[in-house]
Order: sequence, then structure tokens, then C-alpha cells
Amino acid sequence: MTRDLINLLFFPAGLGLIAAGLLYQWVDRKLLARFQNRLGPRWFQPFADALKLLGKEEIHPAGSSAFLFAALPVLALAGALTAALYVPLFGLAPVFSFPGDLIVTLYLMSLLTLCIGLAGAQTRDRFSLAGALRVFTQMFAYEAPFILALLSPAVALMLAGQPSSWQIGELVLSAAGQPWFLLTLPITFVVALVGLMGKLELPPFDAPEAETEIVAGALTEYSGRGLALFSLARAVELVVGLTLVTALYLGGIGAGPLAAVLFTAKTIGLLLIVVVLQTLLARLRIDQTVNLWWRLGSVLVLAQWLLLLIFRVLR
Amino acid sequence: MNAPATERFVVPIGPQHPALKEPGHFEFTVEGETVVDATVRLGYAHRGIEKGAEGRNWTQTLYLIERICGICSHIHSTAYAVGVEQLAEVEVPARAQAIREIICELERVHSHLLWLGVAAHDAGFDTLFMYTWRDRETVMDILETMSGNRVHYSANVLGGVKFDLTDESAVAILKGVEFLEERTHHYRKVVSEDAFFLQRTRGVGTMTHAEALALGVVGPTARASGVARDVRLDAPYVAYADFPARIQLLTAGDLEARFLARLDELLDSFRLIRVLVAGLPAGELTAKRMPRKLKPGEVISRVEAPRGELFYYIRSTGGEQPDRVKVRTPTLCNMGSVITQTIGHNLADVPMILVGIDPCFSCNDRAVTVRRAGDDNGRAWAWADLRRYGIDYYRRIRN
Amino acid sequence: MNQTQSYLARAEALLEPWLAKTERPTDNRLDIWLSPDDLLPVVATLVAGEWGYLAAITGLDPGLATGQLHVLYHFAEGAAVVTLRVATPRDAAAVPTIRPLIPLAAMYEQELIEVLGVAVIGAPERGRLFLADDWPVGVYPLRKDFQPEQLDKESVP
Repeated sequence: MTRDLINLLFFPAGLGLIAAGLLYQWVDRKLLARFQNRLGPRWFQPFADALKLLGKEEIHPAGSSAFLFAALPVLALAGALTAALYVPLFGLAPVFSFPGDLIVTLYLMSLLTLCIGLAGAQTRDRFSLAGALRVFTQMFAYEAPFILALLSPAVALMLAGQPSSWQIGELVLSAAGQPWFLLTLPITFVVALVGLMGKLELPPFDAPEAETEIVAGALTEYSGRGLALFSLARAVELVVGLTLVTALYLGGIGAGPLAAVLFTAKTIGLLLIVVVLQTLLARLRIDQTVNLWWRLGSVLVLAQWLLLLIFRVLR
Repeated sequence: MNAPATERFVVPIGPQHPALKEPGHFEFTVEGETVVDATVRLGYAHRGIEKGAEGRNWTQTLYLIERICGICSHIHSTAYAVGVEQLAEVEVPARAQAIREIICELERVHSHLLWLGVAAHDAGFDTLFMYTWRDRETVMDILETMSGNRVHYSANVLGGVKFDLTDESAVAILKGVEFLEERTHHYRKVVSEDAFFLQRTRGVGTMTHAEALALGVVGPTARASGVARDVRLDAPYVAYADFPARIQLLTAGDLEARFLARLDELLDSFRLIRVLVAGLPAGELTAKRMPRKLKPGEVISRVEAPRGELFYYIRSTGGEQPDRVKVRTPTLCNMGSVITQTIGHNLADVPMILVGIDPCFSCNDRAVTVRRAGDDNGRAWAWADLRRYGIDYYRRIRN
Repeated sequence: MNQTQSYLARAEALLEPWLAKTERPTDNRLDIWLSPDDLLPVVATLVAGEWGYLAAITGLDPGLATGQLHVLYHFAEGAAVVTLRVATPRDAAAVPTIRPLIPLAAMYEQELIEVLGVAVIGAPERGRLFLADDWPVGVYPLRKDFQPEQLDKESVP
């Protein structure tokens, strides 16, 4: 019981997770800045930002539901934190686990996007509305390929006749016995990683918050606490997403005393790739994003599955 | 994306908006993501400079004119100085003219690099933005070495220039130009090859040759659509007759062409700066005598600013002060094309199209009065009042 | 500068019927005085003859004594500049619009309306483009008789 509480509130979930999220966010910002020939923030900047925002006055815009306005950021953060319970944070066993939790986690991860979209759609601000429209459009674009890409390892195991499951805890254990799925399923790995960038609205998929067009997109009207909670939720989602992709594609949890360190290093390595992509790519227009995912993303995933089937039949 | 056709709403951009570095107000009516109507409102940076010029003498006006724009300050003062010198029938020494041209070209480099960064930022390509602005520092350092200032070089005086090209600054120029040339080749490669960036520029905001002529666009915006107009060649001023520029023409007329036209111009500017530094004529820096009073008359002075043709009309009635100084900036010509081009485009392309003409709002908005914010009676301030207020204010602060 | 002269010669040939009062202030310039009624046909001839482009429209207050306001239409081709000078009475200043022929002129004409108070006949009513919203109606800053005190008047939006 006490152990559960500590797990929930402090480590690996809860405060520890939020702190980790903010640190990852710092790594992201710092690396991006260094790649762009800037100095970048000091390590405590995301913490300072979050604290400062939490202490600021929250202005509730007229014409929107006060309840939803306050509830959506809480729901978003709750969704992200809950999703974290089912993934092997820092290479430790998931806090909770039940059959099918992979699917549940994927949906919990979408909760953040939904909340952001709703938050924008329920204010009367034109930038928010345009932003919300883009958030939902983008979600429908990347969601299917992204989910399929994250289910691919399980499907591959199943097709290979290995013990497979929709339960993250078991899946990563059997993945640990396999060669990295990064090598056997390279295409879906790329889709999963790029899909994660779409989910987190990182460049080049930052059209929903393109400040030169629609200011801050769906969150234009948010200030103070609400904005802080959304940004914390994003930070947590960054960790959860990276953890999930690492666990599924980069050799599972692993074993031994250094497993946790190694796992964390892998997630940071993934983050590095994400930052490099952010540096290199210019923002896509929303219609171009949709085209990219439906014309290329989903086709790639299906091609990978087809390849799996062909291998299966040939053997 | 699938909003019904009747669901239109107006997206205001400006007066304060992250896409605009200066105040302007645009209202874009959109259907879903497609722009169906656009209007513009300018004047937020209206400072009354044309009127102000009427109350100052010829020399004071030079310094006022220089402050029309923070980016192309030298070209404004050059246009004015060339016009006034023509009115006064003063012969400016060749060396002074060549130094003016060097600064004109350095300013063009500064302006185009700045624009490239802003445009990249609006395309969501912040990496390019950061790098171009880092490199822009090189040319600003050169200008600082030459003139002591990064922005308002104050190089012109009526009848010549204020400072010579020293050996030290010549070395700095050649070194800086070499570095920038290498960088510009790289940026040209990025702009013409980066697939993601091309998606935002190729075929966007296309203006055909005929449209460009009809809309009356000027400068690189026009030259990207194949309109062969460049005042530096058509009506050479300062030393452009002896050190000619080469026109950079492209025919595609889309945003990509506007990027390439400006980058090609950068490369030509580097060539021209080298030629100028190598072949700088010897001689004086200023004319022997510049009269305080000018004969009655009027003069038209046209120069090629980084953004296109800059037009000055100066009228003298024989006094110490100009009777009328009319400034027609290139942005005003190009602004009309933004309104026409954006219609039918995606909302996301609007900032790109807007930035594609390299708008300069403070150039655009000039003429009328000084008002202090929060002044109860809303009284307009005469120059003397303002001067007195300034002196009193600083005296109060000191005490 | 032969080319400049040939440009000007072509302009003179095109505008033959309207050359009653002309000036050549400098080598590269040709000034033609016109009555407001002649403006449209002259501009139409220049546009149809594809002579140059409209470089600017200058509004000019030559002083109270003249009782006039001048509007200068500058057309440029190469180094050659043809200026069409139209005089209009100060108390009922008006010129016809040329924007059906040259759309860009809309911007210049709007400036003329706002800062010099020259009515442009045929221009659509629209809000202000350059001056502030609270600028008093009927006060034109570029007229010589403009006094800053006029701004104290209650401004009408």
C-alpha cells in the first residue's frame, strides 16, 4: 500500500515523472538552441517557467464555459499521468498492468490532444478556433498510422509465433529476448517516432500552434495555471511517448543493474533524433501534414505489415 | 478543413501580431483554411515625416529622412541627398559617390539577410532564421567599423560623405564579404533544395509577368516575375554608372523565385562591393561648397532600395527649407499585390506571401504629428514644445 | 542618354493632342500641364501605348496665394520621367480616379484624399488607410494652412 502510494505520487510516476518531463523538455530546448546557434536555457528554466505560470493570474475569457476552461487542463494532465502508469518508466516495471493496457495507454495519450482541441474550440477567440481545427485535423492525420506503428511489435511477435500480448509489461519482456524491433521493423519505427512528433506538435508538425499565423493556436486564451498544466502535460507526454517507443523498439526493459540507466540513455538518444529532425525541417502546412500521413505514413505501415505477412508465409 | 462554405470568419492579423515585426492591420476572411477576402489598414507608424520636412532646413531634413526606416536608412538619405545636390547644382566628388554606393550595397546585404531570416521564421524554419541573423552580424560589424554605427550609419552629408574608406575597413569588408558569399551560396542551396521548405515556397503566391506589370510591383518582387526594372541600371545614380550592378531576373514569379532573386542579388552585391573597394577613385569626400539656400525648382530622385524603387519628389521655393518632400516607398507599391495574391490561398501561406514582398511599415507610414500617450487635452506638440519637454524631462531625471 | 530621349520622344508622339503646355525641367523629364478632364484620356493613352509605369502620385500645395492644389502623376520609363500636372481649385479640389486603368493608383489616391484633401471622383468610400482613426475630419496635414491646433477639435470617427 505505502509502496503503491510512493510509486504513484513520487517515483517513478507523480512528482518524479513531472520533474523528468521538465528535464527532458530542457534537453529538447537546449539541444535545439545549440543546433540553431543559440545559447539556450539553463537547466532549471522549464521548472522556473512552470512555477511562475502556476503562480500567475488566470484570465477566464468571456463566452466560454468556465467549468470546461478550468477542467480541461486538469483532465489533460491527468490523462498523461495515468498513461505513464502503464509504461516502463526509466526501464522499471510498469506501476500497473493489465491485459490490453497497450491500447488503453495509446488512448490515454490522445486525451491531451483532445483536451487541447476542445479547449480551443470552446473559446470564442478566432486564433483558438483555427488552432483547434488544426489540432483535430492533425490528430486524424497521424493517429491511425501512429497507433498501428506502436501495435506492430505485438503483431510481429504474434505472426512469428512467439508469445505476444497487448499488455505492455509482458510485451517488453518478450521484446527483450528478441533482436531490437528497430532492426526488424525499421519502417514502423520511423512512423512511430515521427508520429510522436506529430502528437507533441513539434516542428515540422507545429502548424496547430504556428505563431506567425494563429499566435498560440488552440491555447491562445490560456494563461497562468491552465497554461502551466497543459505544458506540464506535454512534458509528461514527451517522457511517456519516448519511453513507449524505446520499450517497444529498442530492446525492451533489459536486465541487470545498469538496465535503468541504459534505458534512460536510450530515451535521451531518441530525443536527440527528434531534436535533429526539429532543427532540420521547416513547418508543414496543415493540408501538407494530412497528405504526408495519409499518402505516406499509413501506406508505409501497411507495407511493413505486408512484408511481415510475406515473411511469415515464406517460412 | 471541412467547414461549410457559409461558415466564414475573419482572422485579423495585426496591428500587433507575431508574424508582423512592425504594425499593420490585415483582415483575412477565411472559409475553412482558404482566404476569400482581404483588407489592409496602414498608418500605425505614421510619424509625420513629410510634414516635418517642411519645417526644417535642408540639412536637418537629411537626418530626419534617414530615420524613415531602420533597415534602409542610407538609401533614403542617398535619394534625398542626390536630389538636393541636383537642385543646388553641386558636383559631388567621385570618391564620395563610390563610398555611397559601397554603403548602399552593404545595406542591401544587411537588408536581404534580415529578410531571409524573417521569411524563414514565417515558414516555421527557425534554424535558417537563427543562422542568417548570426551572419547578418558580420555585415553590421563592417558597417560599424566604417561608420561607428550599426543601423543609422549617417554616411551622407549634403555634397558628399562623412567618412572615408580606411584601409582597416577595406580589409574588414573584403574579409566579411568572403565569409558572407560562402554562406549565401549555402543558403541558396538550402532554399532551392530543401524539400520541406520548397513545399512552402514553390508555386505559392505566383505572380505572372503580366500580373506583376499590372499590379505595379517593384524591386526583387517584380524581378522574380521577370520584370526587368532596376533603377541602378535604368537611371544610374551615385557611382552606378561607373560601377554597374547586374540585373537578377527570374521568371517563375512564385515565392521560391522571390527567395532566389534576393539571394542572387546578394551575390551580385558581393561582387560589386569587391569591384568598388578595388577601384575606389581618389579624391575629396565632399563638394567644395553647399549653399544653405536653394534656388526654386523641383527634382525627382529615384533610387533602388533593397525592397525596390524608392521615389523622391523634392520642391524648393528658394528658401532654407524644402517646400515639399514626397516619399514613395517600394512597400506601398508592393502592398497591393499581397491583397490580390492571398485570395484563394491557404491561411498558412498568408504570412509567407506577406513577407515575400519584404514589407517595411515604417517606410510606408510617414507624415503628421507628435502626440504623447495619455495626454489629457490631446494637444499636438510643436517641435519647440517637444524639445523643451525633452530638456525638462532629462533635467528632472538628473535632479 | 539617347535611349532616354527616345523614350521621351515616344511619349510626346503618343500624347500629341495634349501638349499645349509642357516643360523640360531637366534632360530626362517632361512635364505636361493638363486640365482634370484630360487626365483620364492621357493616362489611358500612356497605358495603352505601354509607356512606362506609374511611379508615384504627388499631391502638392503650392501655397495659399495660388488658390490651387496640384496633383502630379509621375510616369517612369528607364531614366525618363513624364509628369502629368493637374491643377485643381483649393476649395473644391477634385481629380478623377485613374484606378480602373492602374489598380495600384488606389493606394496613392487614398493618400491624396487623406493627407491633402483632394477628392478623387469615382474612388469607393472606404475607411482610413494612413491617418489615425481619431484624426479630425476635414483637417489635411499636408496643406500649408494646417495648424497643429486644428487637432484639438473634437475628433469625429
